[in-house]
Amino acid sequence: MNGRHAARCATGVFIIAMIAPLVAQVGPARLTSHATDGGNWLMYSGSYNSHRFSPLDQISTANVSRLKPLWVYQPPGTGSLEGTPLVADGVMYVTSGPASVVALDLRSGRPIWEWSRPIAQTVLNLGFPRVNRGVAILDQTIYVGTLDGYLAALDAKSGAQRWIVPVGDNPTGHSITAAPLAVDDRIIVGISGGEAGIRGFLDAYDAKTGKQIWRLHTVPSPGEPGSETWAGDSWVHGAGATWLTGSYDPALKLLYWGTGNPGPDWNGDARKGDNLFTCSLIAVDVETGKMRWHFQFTPHDTHDWDANQIPVLVDADDVVPGGRPRALVIMANRNGFFYVLDRRTGEYLRGTPYAKQTWATGLDATGRPILVPDMDPSEKGTLVYPSLQGSTNWSSPSYSPLTGMLYVPVREMGSVYYKSSVEYRPGTYFTGGSEKRLDEESWGAVRAIDVKSGKAAWDFKLPTPPWAGVMATAGGLVFGGSNEGNVYAVDAASGKPLWQFQTGGAIRCGPMSFLSEGKQRIAVAGGRSIFVFGLE
Amino acid sequence: MRRHRDSARGPRLAPVAAPSLAVFFFLTTITAGQPPASIAPLRAAGSTDIAAGRRIFESQCAWCHGTEGTGGTGPSLQRATLRHAADDKALVDIVRNGLPGTEMPGFTSLLTDRTAWQTAAYVRSLGRAAARPIPGDARRGAALYESAGCGSCHVVAGRGTMIGPELTSIGTLRGPSHLRDSLVSPAAAHPTGYLVVRATTSAGRVVRGIRLNEDVFWIHIRDAGGVVHVLQKSDLSSLDRELEATLMPSYASRFSAAELDDLVAYLASLRGQS
Repeated sequence: MNGRHAARCATGVFIIAMIAPLVAQVGPARLTSHATDGGNWLMYSGSYNSHRFSPLDQISTANVSRLKPLWVYQPPGTGSLEGTPLVADGVMYVTSGPASVVALDLRSGRPIWEWSRPIAQTVLNLGFPRVNRGVAILDQTIYVGTLDGYLAALDAKSGAQRWIVPVGDNPTGHSITAAPLAVDDRIIVGISGGEAGIRGFLDAYDAKTGKQIWRLHTVPSPGEPGSETWAGDSWVHGAGATWLTGSYDPALKLLYWGTGNPGPDWNGDARKGDNLFTCSLIAVDVETGKMRWHFQFTPHDTHDWDANQIPVLVDADDVVPGGRPRALVIMANRNGFFYVLDRRTGEYLRGTPYAKQTWATGLDATGRPILVPDMDPSEKGTLVYPSLQGSTNWSSPSYSPLTGMLYVPVREMGSVYYKSSVEYRPGTYFTGGSEKRLDEESWGAVRAIDVKSGKAAWDFKLPTPPWAGVMATAGGLVFGGSNEGNVYAVDAASGKPLWQFQTGGAIRCGPMSFLSEGKQRIAVAGGRSIFVFGLE
Repeated sequence: MRRHRDSARGPRLAPVAAPSLAVFFFLTTITAGQPPASIAPLRAAGSTDIAAGRRIFESQCAWCHGTEGTGGTGPSLQRATLRHAADDKALVDIVRNGLPGTEMPGFTSLLTDRTAWQTAAYVRSLGRAAARPIPGDARRGAALYESAGCGSCHVVAGRGTMIGPELTSIGTLRGPSHLRDSLVSPAAAHPTGYLVVRATTSAGRVVRGIRLNEDVFWIHIRDAGGVVHVLQKSDLSSLDRELEATLMPSYASRFSAAELDDLVAYLASLRGQS
């Protein structure tokens, strides 16, 4: 190629880049290709298996010390930024509470379009802040849940609202903060409201029309399997919210979704029994919405230990002695135990404590907790570890296939739990108690758990229990954040800190990574701003 | 392992035109989200309601306000008028939702409208009881405050050094019993935000003082002399929290019982700058 031809080609590429529409084309097949399409970040947890692992390795242990902020964007809206941005084909999609979406150009950090749904101050958010944790993308459409309980479809090119449908009734406490999940031709969305006495469900909607395809209640009605675990009519306000995004196995066609606490949270007197399918992981046939299996981590929970944490899908062959190759689903649960299950059948394989807990002496052969007596909330107060926010919470873990470790944001904190009388009134708290946290004694960590052994490999200590998620990368790094504003990278093998930047505001989101013009970037929200970092 | 062949399927929401449903939601949300326009007068509470309120108070409020509202880390409630609660509705609202900008938390997840009202009724009943007189002479206590050099660590009305808590309004924030505990057993009564930490640098230098702020990589410590140390954690060989410690010395043996009464009376009289 001579110089003139090269110049013409370069000009042609430039013109194509100038006129190429900034619009995503994300068909269902692309959603399964994160390992080879790591330049984009196409769903909340990065990939259907929820590894939150970036296959990008330009930023590595060798050069991360040179990482610098490239641009900062402050989205409209209010409240903390708890979402994970999506990136598709040169555009970043960011959400902000109570119901805003912004599309940003990756190179300039400037907005292409904004969409907001007006949310009145009277819209209820009982038990959680007025936040939004992200969007889903499918074909040329962005999908977002809203604080007042709707699911909206937006044109990815312009932000034009294509349709909006009601999912849950806000005056009775239903709300959506989680990012939806796009699978094939449908949008899966969960519901919040576990402190308001809702009856939880998981929904699927037609991506093109918004028509509901199926609804699966997480609390059975009389006569249905599991209804025998609810006394009287306590199932009616039994909760079991589905307030965080789940995972998906395309080969098995199964969704894996965590369910929340039974209602009322801290007073279980009126709901004798195990209270299925609360505090559980449920495997759901994506075609029919039927529950294939369930595993309940905390039967008859009275500490608000939701099981909404991200289920992570891994394959391994030796997690139990003499084991065979297994398709697994693993979860570091809010109740303080780390679980390994067979994701085809739900069979319990192993459970080990990964943080301080004082409520169970261990798990029996079926994974059921062996309870310490008198750990229920009481009128005088009962000190229990972990606190009601759990040993971990909604902050995303990350799994690195390179190290075989699950990196978990861990909260080491206890609480004094109180129990009170409770009555159901629509649109008010239905909790039956409260807690007093032991703040000064508390601390946090990013904890590396070796999946094969279940043992902790290292801790990266944090001054307070974190709300930030983590992301492992092929560069041998784990990125995370702190309540005090630090975004940091540590060595995935050892936990040794290699880089940090003080953003000036609490980190309450999951970091993510993408390519912009062929160069790896890291994005994380600190305070009310999105920060994008790169090496140059 | 628990498998399912069947599952629950609930009723489907019929697709409804969004605008009309939005209007419905808006109207019903106003009804659900607004506080009640009026409440029953607290003086109308009977003995059953007040007893119910007392049980809640002893479980949830006495931590700070003391048994029978005598005051503790929170102010005494044995007053006919309460500074932030001009009327019954305001008192119920504070009991339910707390006081933003103060240490008073909300109890929205614990209290229903009725139990909040019962608790407020009990608080109001405390104000009708005769407040216990504070022994001691505030004027003598003020002189003692000066002569003992308390101002070398505390500020009152703009005078003094800010190492320990500001005391200008301490009489409105803490009860007499807690003020006395702070003088006699300060380690057991140290306030939130004054955590004592001990840092040892790699070179062996020890810095002990109050943690001003801390992030993952840095910590700022104010020592007993008021000097602020900015330390990078990578330069430290150890960093320990002394959860039971305080920089405040005990005055149990330095002052007589009568002098302690005088000092408590003085501190209880500090109710803000006029």
